[in-house]
Amino acid sequence: MTPLAGLRVADFTVHAAGPFCTHMLSQLGAEVIKVETALRPDIFRKSHAVYGRKGPATFDQVSSNKLSVRLNLKHPEGVALAKRLVAVSDVAAESFRAGVMERLGLSYDDLRAARPDIVMVSVSSSGQTGPESHFAGYAPLFGAWGGLGHLSGHADGPPVEMRHVMDHSVGMNAALATMAALLQRRRTGRGCHVDVAAREVASSLVGDALVAASAGITVERMGNGDLRRAPHGLYPTRDPDRWLAIAVANDAQWCALAKLMEQADLASDPRYATETARHANSATLDPLIANWSRQSTGEQLVASLQSAGIPAHLSWAASDIVSDPHLRARGAILDVTETGGATRAAVGRVARFSGDDTPGITRGTPTLGGAEAYVYGELLGLSDADISALVADRAIY
Amino acid sequence: MTAPKPLAGIRVVERATSVAAAQAGRLMCLMGAEVIMAEPPGGSPLRQEPPLLPGGDSALFTFLATGKRSVTCDLDQPDDRAAFDTLLASADLLIDDTALADRAGAGLDQARISQTHPHIVHLSVLPFGAYGPKADWLGEELTLVHAGGEGFLLPNGLSADLFPDRPPLKIAGHFAQMQGGVAAAFAGLSALWAGGGQYVDASVQDANVAVGAFAIQRFGDGSVEHRLTRSFRFGGVIECSDGYVELLTLEERQWQGLVKLLEADDWAADPELADAVGRSARGDEINRRIRDWALHRKVADLVAAAQELGVPMARYNDAAQVLSGAQETARGIFRDVAASGGTVKVQSLPFRFDPDALPVDCPAPAPGADQSLLEEPQRRASA
Repeated sequence: MTPLAGLRVADFTVHAAGPFCTHMLSQLGAEVIKVETALRPDIFRKSHAVYGRKGPATFDQVSSNKLSVRLNLKHPEGVALAKRLVAVSDVAAESFRAGVMERLGLSYDDLRAARPDIVMVSVSSSGQTGPESHFAGYAPLFGAWGGLGHLSGHADGPPVEMRHVMDHSVGMNAALATMAALLQRRRTGRGCHVDVAAREVASSLVGDALVAASAGITVERMGNGDLRRAPHGLYPTRDPDRWLAIAVANDAQWCALAKLMEQADLASDPRYATETARHANSATLDPLIANWSRQSTGEQLVASLQSAGIPAHLSWAASDIVSDPHLRARGAILDVTETGGATRAAVGRVARFSGDDTPGITRGTPTLGGAEAYVYGELLGLSDADISALVADRAIY
Repeated sequence: MTAPKPLAGIRVVERATSVAAAQAGRLMCLMGAEVIMAEPPGGSPLRQEPPLLPGGDSALFTFLATGKRSVTCDLDQPDDRAAFDTLLASADLLIDDTALADRAGAGLDQARISQTHPHIVHLSVLPFGAYGPKADWLGEELTLVHAGGEGFLLPNGLSADLFPDRPPLKIAGHFAQMQGGVAAAFAGLSALWAGGGQYVDASVQDANVAVGAFAIQRFGDGSVEHRLTRSFRFGGVIECSDGYVELLTLEERQWQGLVKLLEADDWAADPELADAVGRSARGDEINRRIRDWALHRKVADLVAAAQELGVPMARYNDAAQVLSGAQETARGIFRDVAASGGTVKVQSLPFRFDPDALPVDCPAPAPGADQSLLEEPQRRASA
C-alpha cells in the first residue's frame, strides 16, 4: 500500500511552489483534488510567453496524478462547495497571497468550521504575518530576499537569480511540514494552520552562512569555490560545453587523483601536499587539472575518478538525466503516458520504500474539471441535477 | 508553558557525516522529535567544517545540530554495538548515511536492522541512494548539484551575460545536500505515517532531480534548457547605484506597473508591446533600457516605488540585511543560541504550525554530552 493511501487533499494551490507540495503528497499516494476555474486558469496551465513560448510550462509534471474540478470561488455557491470538499479532506492547501483566502471566505477559521481537525497549508512569498506579507513574489525574488541569491555567483560578478528549483524547494518543505502536522493531528486530534514562507526557505538554505555572519564572519560570493576542499571546481573535457565537477575532500583523494593523472609527484609537492596548501595554491593547481581533463571524454573521466574513490560528476543537462539507467532503476525518472497516448519523461518519487514500490506517477495531466462526476457526485453526494444547476449558475465553472 | 511541537514523542537516532543526513535530523529535531546523534569517537566530521566561529565551533555544525543530543559509540566494539542496539530499540526512526560498503561491518545493513529492529523506520540517506548501479558513488555538494541538473543551468541572466565563457556555477552553500535532507525527512515522516517499520532509501541526487523537474518537463516538450538561453527575456538581476534588485513581471498588470515605473509612455503606445509574446520578442531592447535606467537609482527607492505599483521587485539582501530584515524580525525567525565564543543567531524552520516560529533554544551538544542515554535509553519526558 502507498505510504499516504487514504489521505485526501483539497488543493487550491497555483503556480509552482504550492502545486509541487501537493504533487509530492500525490506521488506517495494521497488523493489530491485540484480546484481550478476557467475564469482564471492556473498561470502554468496557460501559455507562458515570458519564456518565449506559447505552450504551458511546468503544469504537466506537478498536476500528474491529480484530479481536477472546476470551482468558481467568487460565487457564494462555489465557496459553499469548497467547504464541503474541505469537510471530506484531511488537508487543504493554498498558495494565494496572504489574505486572499480570508477574503474568499475560506480562512483557517472558516475551514475549521467545515472540518474541525483540518490541516490547512498556506504557501506564500513572505508568510502570513509581518509588514511584508502582502508582497508579491516569485522564485527569483524569494532567493533575493533570503540571501541565497546574493551569496550565489562569481566572486567578481553579480548575484545569481534562483529559478524553479527555488519554488520546488519551497514545495518540498511544505510537503514535509504537512506530514508533521498530520502526525501531530494523529497524536492530539488537533489540526493546525501551517504557514510556509518562501523567503524563509531561501534563507534556511544558507543558514550556516547566516550563523557565521551573526558572529561577525564575512560571508560573500565564492563561485564554485569551497572553504576547505581543493581541487574543487568545474573542469573542461574533450567535448565542448561538457564540464567535469571534481571535489577533492581529503589528502587520500588528492593522492589518488595525482596518481590517476600520472603525476604522482604532485601529491608530495609542498605546494599541494596538504589541503591548506592546495587551497592557497588553487590558481596554479586548477590549470594542471584542466590540462589533464581536456584530453578525455567526460564519461571516461568520471568512471575512472569514481573508481579511484574521488567524488566527480559531469555537469548534466536534462538529456543526460532522462536517459540515466541509475535514475530509471530507482524510479526517480519514469515515463508518463498522457490521455492522448503521448509519452513523456517525468520526475518520480524522491525516495524508495521497502513497503511499496508503486510508481510515483500513474496518471497524466488531468483535463480541466475531469473528475467532477467522482468528486461532486460520489464524494459530495450531489445529484446530476444539482451539478447541472451549479454549472448553469457558473458556481461550477 | 510552551505548546508541544508536532513531532513530540518521536525518537530519532542519527548517524550523519553528510549535510543531507544531518539536515534531515535537524528538521525533525526542530519540529519536536528527540534526535540523538550517535557520533564516532571524537565526534562527527561535520564539527570541523568551516567557517569556524570565533570560539572554534563550526557554523555549519551549529546550524545543523542545535537542539540535538549526542552520544559517542564505536560500532566496531561489541559493548558499544550492544548499547547502540538498545538505544535503537527505544527509537522510532534511524537516519544513517554510512557508505553502503561499510554498513554490514558496522551492523547497519538493511537486513540486520529490519531483523533486529523490525519496528523502526530505517532512513538511508546517500548521495546516489542505496539502490541502483551508482549506489556506491561518492558525492560532494559540488558534484551533486551537477548530478541533479541545476548546476548546468547556472548562472543565468546578468551573470551569464557578463561571463558567457565561464563554466557552470554552483548555488551557494549546501543547496543540493539541503534538498536531500528535506526530501529524506519528508519520506521518513511519510513512512512513520504509514505505520510499522520499513526501509526508506533517500538519494540526494533524486531530490535534486525532483526540484529540477522543470528542465525535465521542458525536455519532454522538446527543448533542452541551457544557462545562456534560459534567461528571462527581460527583468532578472538589475544593477542599481548601491546594489542589485530582482525584477520579474509575469502578469499583464505587472507589466503595466513597470511601464509606469519607467515612465515609458512610448511602450504604452506601442502596439507591438501590447502582448507578452511581442514583449518577449523585443526583450533585449526592453532590458537595456531597464538596466540603464536603474543604474543611477538607489535600491531602496526603486523597490518602494515598484511595490507601490504592484511590480514584483526585491533587493538582493546580503547576510546582514537578512539577519536584520523587518519581515524576518517581525516574524521572529532568528533566535539567539549559545556557541563557543559567544551567542549566534540560528534560523528557525521556514514554516510554522501556529502564529509563532518554532523555538530554537538549545546549543549544539558536545560529543557524548548525553552518553547516559546509551546506558539507560529512557525517553525524554516531553519535547
